[in-house]
Amino acid sequence: MNKPNDNPVAAARSAGRNALDESAGKQLLSTYGISVPQSRVAKGVADVDAVMNGLKTPVVVKVMSPDILHKSDAGGVKINLRSAAEVKTAIEGMMNAPKIKGARIDGFLVEEMAPAGHELVIGGLRDPQFGPLVMVGLGGIFVEILKDVSFRLCPISRIDAEEMLAELKGAAILKGARGTKPASIEAIIDVLLKVGGDNGLLMQHANDISEADINPLIVSDTAAVAVDARFILG
Amino acid sequence: MTITEEFTPLFAPKTVAVVGASTKGNALPNVFIRRIREFGFTGDIYPIHPAATEIDGLTAYKSLADTPKPVDYAYIAVSGAQIPAMLSAAKGHVRFAQVVSSGFGEVEEGKNLQAELADAARAGGMRLLGPNCLGIYTPRGHVTFTEIGPKEVGPVGIVSQSGGLGTDIIRRGLSRGLKFSGLVTVGNCADVTPSDLLEFYIADPQTKVIGLYIETAKDGRRLFDILRKAQASKPVVILKGGRTQQGLAAAASHTGSLAGDDRVWVALARQTGCMLVDTLDNFIDTLLIFQTLTPRPQRATKKVVLFGNGGGTSVLATDYYSRLDIDVTPFDQHVIDALAELKLPPGTSITNPVDCPVGTLQQDDGRVAEKILDIICGQGKPEALVMHLNLSAFVGRTKPEVLDNLVAAAMRVQQKYPGQSHFILVLRSDGEPSLEARKREFRDKAVALGVPVYDEMANAGHAVAALATFERFKAARG
Repeated sequence: MNKPNDNPVAAARSAGRNALDESAGKQLLSTYGISVPQSRVAKGVADVDAVMNGLKTPVVVKVMSPDILHKSDAGGVKINLRSAAEVKTAIEGMMNAPKIKGARIDGFLVEEMAPAGHELVIGGLRDPQFGPLVMVGLGGIFVEILKDVSFRLCPISRIDAEEMLAELKGAAILKGARGTKPASIEAIIDVLLKVGGDNGLLMQHANDISEADINPLIVSDTAAVAVDARFILG
Repeated sequence: MTITEEFTPLFAPKTVAVVGASTKGNALPNVFIRRIREFGFTGDIYPIHPAATEIDGLTAYKSLADTPKPVDYAYIAVSGAQIPAMLSAAKGHVRFAQVVSSGFGEVEEGKNLQAELADAARAGGMRLLGPNCLGIYTPRGHVTFTEIGPKEVGPVGIVSQSGGLGTDIIRRGLSRGLKFSGLVTVGNCADVTPSDLLEFYIADPQTKVIGLYIETAKDGRRLFDILRKAQASKPVVILKGGRTQQGLAAAASHTGSLAGDDRVWVALARQTGCMLVDTLDNFIDTLLIFQTLTPRPQRATKKVVLFGNGGGTSVLATDYYSRLDIDVTPFDQHVIDALAELKLPPGTSITNPVDCPVGTLQQDDGRVAEKILDIICGQGKPEALVMHLNLSAFVGRTKPEVLDNLVAAAMRVQQKYPGQSHFILVLRSDGEPSLEARKREFRDKAVALGVPVYDEMANAGHAVAALATFERFKAARG
């Protein structure tokens, strides 16, 4: 993992960027004590052996580029790679992908894959009149089709976080409906408070962050890991 | 200066200046002068007029800075363009100016004028209400913009961003038994916002429940901070206009700025314990329950007993209340046994809902109700009891005093078990004028005794659900 920058937001701002890339976004989460998968950045194929040293397989490789908004669509994400050789092949493939070839490439994020769990989305939004809001929802169709999400104004209290989860229509799923393992409610509340609580990320960066997405947050019965994160500045 | 001290000149002015009154005595400000005199205002009234020396029998002054005493409240209704100069010349001589005139931020071409107006108020050292509003109704200060409105000071404090709706709230609220500690129409909110007045009402000892009609909250974050800090010390009911995309378009043309998103308001309500309502009736229904009943967080309302005449009405209400998360579930056996001992006629259901046909209720000229209610309250001990009477069903079948006895019985039992069960009365009628007249009479008596009265079960249900929401919020957050 990269050494956490004290303030990735300030760094991105001074570099004139209007968003944090995935790596910087995860550094920011990490600064607030939110678990992210172990990861390292490979500049290219030559770095892979060194980068893989110390990472647990399987890993995922993601292209890092300010020009590519939707990495998966561009062919910039390869999952379930079990060796340095597989990682090298994946990177070579990406560098030749039509939608990546011409783009500015900052490197390739090589990241341990999170263990299976429930997929959640935790988001943030700055309302022009009310300031920062925090959102939570279950991933996939629950967020996209059913819009089963709940919002609160920041900062939220612990009770607010509990009530946010309780009011989701799909709340029962987190408790392990239909034979799945339950998700750790405690772990989700912990992330919600670190994002939207009193000294949370959204309050601390209220003037800089206009939108935030932790999607997905993978929650097992013991822990929550932010697998992807996106922060829009402005 | 405390917020109470700051706003006292508005709610209880000693001196009122009126700008725009004509020597012919027929302009809106002349009507205002007449109204506040009729309303019992005994302080000084200063008509402001560039030429006249006397208006409506009062000495007129050339400008706001020329009055013998400083002006606590200035009512201004002249064409917009001349107002900024008038305010900036006041030199700290005016505490509150309410600009009734329109043609400011609510229309594109008036936006600059509104900014000028706000600057002028600041330069003149006063707080500004409006523009584009109707005025203030403050019984403690004997000032009112409406022709009706009780002189008695009540517990309900209102802020309305719409003047017309403010009038509706007073008129309809009055007929439903609401009594106000104040109602301020704030229009475009160029200076004073609903947040300022909310802060006042929270601190104001006369105010027990607060109602806000809001279309836009430019200082939304401040509104949230005030509500959060107040920790639901008083119930706040919010009627929010412009929550849907369609409503939003209407709001933009009405008040002249962007409205917050619906989900923000839902979040705000859930986090601060406010009650968010959708209609004027719902707003008044909810204010009424908080005016009359005292929330009991330590025993949040969940179990409710329905008692009255009308089987179908009971069944429909049971379904409706269940959707509002209110339980209408059968009594424990010992309560059913106690009710069975009364040996009520066949056709009476005693499990909850307690459904008594008119034939049962008229037993002993209606005094049987007292025995039933006594068992419900004394032994059933529900958190709330909704007693409903279909007045139409009594007509032509019973002596007129039966209804009186029923209502009187309800009042007596209510007083016998103070704090035991929230008591709510639903008086249903078919709109027939003589029934409506009796209903009004019952309603006045009941509300005066602290019993809220509703026209239908559904209205009562929403109000009870709001009360329960507030109690649960307080219970969860200590």
